[in-house]
Amino acid sequence: MAVVGPWRLAWRRLRRNRVALGFLGLFVAIVVFCLAAPLWASEVAHTGPNKTHTLEKIQAGGEVREVVNREGRPIGPQWLEADGKFFLGADGRLGRDEMVRLMYGGRTSLEIGFAAALLTTLLGTLLGLLAGYYGGWPDTLISRALDVIWAFPVTLLAISLGLVLAVGGLQIGPLHLSGSSLWITILIIGGVYVPYMARPIRGEVLALREREFVEAAEAQGAGPGRIMLTELLPNLSSTIIVFFALNVANAMLLEALLSFLGVGVQPPNGSWGTMLSSGLDLLTSAPLLTYLPGAMILLTVLAVNVFADGLRDALDPRSKVRIEAHSGLTKAESVEGIAP
Amino acid sequence: MRKPGLVLLVLVLVAGSAVGLAACGGSSGKEGGTLTGTYASFPDYLDPALSYQPEGWTAMYDTYLPLLTYAHANGAEGSKVVPALAKSMPKISDGGKAYTLTLRKGLKYSDGTPVKASDFKTSIERLFKVNSGGSFFYETIVGAEKFAETKQGGIPGIKTDDTTGKIEIDLTGPRGTFTNELGMLFAAVLPAGTPAKNLTADPPPATGPYMITKVEPGRSWSYARNPYWAKANGPAIDTVSAGHVDKIEIKVVRNDSTQVNEIERDKADWMQTPIAADEYNKVKDKYEGTQFRVEHPINLYLFWMNTEKAPFDDLKVRQAVNYAIDPAALERIYAGSLAATHQILPEGMPGHEPFDLYPHNMAKAKQLIKEANPADRNITVWTDNESPNNEAGAYYEGVLNELGFNAKLKEINGDNYYTIIGNESTPDLDTGWLSFYEDYPHPNDFFQAMFSGESIAPTGNTNLSRIDEPKLNAKIAKLDEEPLGPEQEAEYAALDREFMELAPIVPYGTNTVPTFVNSEIDLSKVIFNPTFGQDLTSFQFK
Repeated sequence: MAVVGPWRLAWRRLRRNRVALGFLGLFVAIVVFCLAAPLWASEVAHTGPNKTHTLEKIQAGGEVREVVNREGRPIGPQWLEADGKFFLGADGRLGRDEMVRLMYGGRTSLEIGFAAALLTTLLGTLLGLLAGYYGGWPDTLISRALDVIWAFPVTLLAISLGLVLAVGGLQIGPLHLSGSSLWITILIIGGVYVPYMARPIRGEVLALREREFVEAAEAQGAGPGRIMLTELLPNLSSTIIVFFALNVANAMLLEALLSFLGVGVQPPNGSWGTMLSSGLDLLTSAPLLTYLPGAMILLTVLAVNVFADGLRDALDPRSKVRIEAHSGLTKAESVEGIAP
Repeated sequence: MRKPGLVLLVLVLVAGSAVGLAACGGSSGKEGGTLTGTYASFPDYLDPALSYQPEGWTAMYDTYLPLLTYAHANGAEGSKVVPALAKSMPKISDGGKAYTLTLRKGLKYSDGTPVKASDFKTSIERLFKVNSGGSFFYETIVGAEKFAETKQGGIPGIKTDDTTGKIEIDLTGPRGTFTNELGMLFAAVLPAGTPAKNLTADPPPATGPYMITKVEPGRSWSYARNPYWAKANGPAIDTVSAGHVDKIEIKVVRNDSTQVNEIERDKADWMQTPIAADEYNKVKDKYEGTQFRVEHPINLYLFWMNTEKAPFDDLKVRQAVNYAIDPAALERIYAGSLAATHQILPEGMPGHEPFDLYPHNMAKAKQLIKEANPADRNITVWTDNESPNNEAGAYYEGVLNELGFNAKLKEINGDNYYTIIGNESTPDLDTGWLSFYEDYPHPNDFFQAMFSGESIAPTGNTNLSRIDEPKLNAKIAKLDEEPLGPEQEAEYAALDREFMELAPIVPYGTNTVPTFVNSEIDLSKVIFNPTFGQDLTSFQFK
């Protein structure tokens, strides 16, 4: 009888979760859409995301149309009437191409989401490992520091940091980040979520640390670093992966909020959050400018969350019973991980 | 023999007439009630010594009175200086260097403290102690400059007598605008012990018809009638009216569309904020004449360029930027509420003679940049976050990038914008957006504040271009000494041209301001003062 490894077993479970895979497909489609921004901008729209066209006119539907009329009203969606230019219309009185901004804005939002999630995951895992493994005063020090951050509501803390750093930027020794740098937003979002990952990791490490395989490794003379890397980390991998996916969703949502409030991505760079904010000024005359970025945020966060949920169900052994009921696995498969 | 029926009839007729007259009211509107208003941003300060924004001045025009004030009237009438706490206009002697005024008798602050002549001196001294952005208006008072540095010893040029109410002000030299400056909010009289710090959160006692009763910084503030207006100040001061409403509640509503919705649904009575460009024409078309009126304050919208920092320390770069900016684009960004201009003195200001040294020409702009070949091409463009000013900033940033610079836009919340850009310790103050509304209808107001080297200050700086040309400073100072006449107006027109040749700023337009009220407010009664905006004492419910 062949033994099926845990990763293969997880993949089988995931494969059977059509909802999760469906939303993964949606997420991939959104990513591809955003990655195609330079192609669309250069080959179809022939403009950049920040290029203004306030006084320009275009040929569309057999007539000449102003991108922004004298009353400051931007042109609406042209779809294919202008050969793809201003496909979704102009974004406001600056006359920027809404479709191009939506695609580039998505790149910014995704970039920040992934980078911040990576930062949270790396820092959270490191701190959780150190605190859980060593215990004693390192654990006290790290846990109390995390408690200080945890004491602040995440949103308020992020907004406060954004307000301060958006003006003066960040200077740490030779490192200087200007207020408009995306790294400011990444560092803020990545940092405020660290306790929400570090503490669960610490909890798992505390439990794993008492297991026999750790004792055995210690008895064989393995140092703390080796134990954490080769014994503990592999056992945390499924948790880390799921957390990472969820962190991406949280980070994108927080980025949208910060940018909407003007303390995240700084204009004229676009993210879906900044587009949501600037679209509000034209809510009555051009509601699409608000609905579109809002819908993209909604779909992306939903897709990531649902997929992450499915991933957790696939990777977490404790949810085997639930998956079995849905997937029709045999008892032997489910209990032993043994291929039929 | 008596006829009781006839007597009864007469009595009924008399009673009916009395009721009818009472119902009409003396002013054909309703007295009392609570006015609710909205602002898009909280005023820079609710401290008369510190506020230097239209929002703050509108908020405090009817609360803190100087010795003189601007007539509570529309248009040109509103630009006239009239007595407020002083009995009469100042007696000017000694070749324009000595001003004598007398405080009206019996005046009281809203906490019941009597107003004394010496309070004027301490109020002016407080301006310097708090490093007010408006303190430079009073630096010509003898001893003021030294006091500004030392903050010790008082200002000897102001002599007061609390017994007689006499106030004597000696200037270092004649100043043609000093009467106007005595009418500014900076010169509002406050109690002698008023702390020398920002009192926005807890404003000092008032002398006007309304007092500020509660402040939630950043969110809202409220007024009630000053109890000592009816008892003491009102009967003495006939140039300021008592006001019709009993209370005023102002709240900050950041979103312009929300403000418009609240007015339309009668949830708010008035919005101080100019209507967002998106809705401006829609509101104008629907309500003009009934609830909407276009006002024409004298103002200038511009981009300032820091002449002390590269690349704007190069004249060719500044001139190039002037050529590159297209006023037609900005007119669209402001949805038709902006009238394009390319000079300092706007239409309506004495001394205005139209000219345009830099008609839009992108090719010429690029040529000048090529000749200048600036080494430092990193530029930070500052703007506030209120629409459409932020879009004007974004447009400007795009133009700079088109000229080959690496411009980055920095949007700052409207509440803090002027404080931040007026602070010399703020890094990367290269260039940015600005709107300048007249302090008083005198061309010196524009030149002194924005272009005189003397106005450069570490905080509350109004000369954001940091231009300091001794010859032009001298011209400003000389013209400032003279009363305004045709000769001076011609000289101001020439000064306008001379400064534009140095191109420290890119002026692009003058903006109209709407008054938009709900259906319960009598629009015809609302007064818009060209300097202070809507007069709170003029709002009356129908």
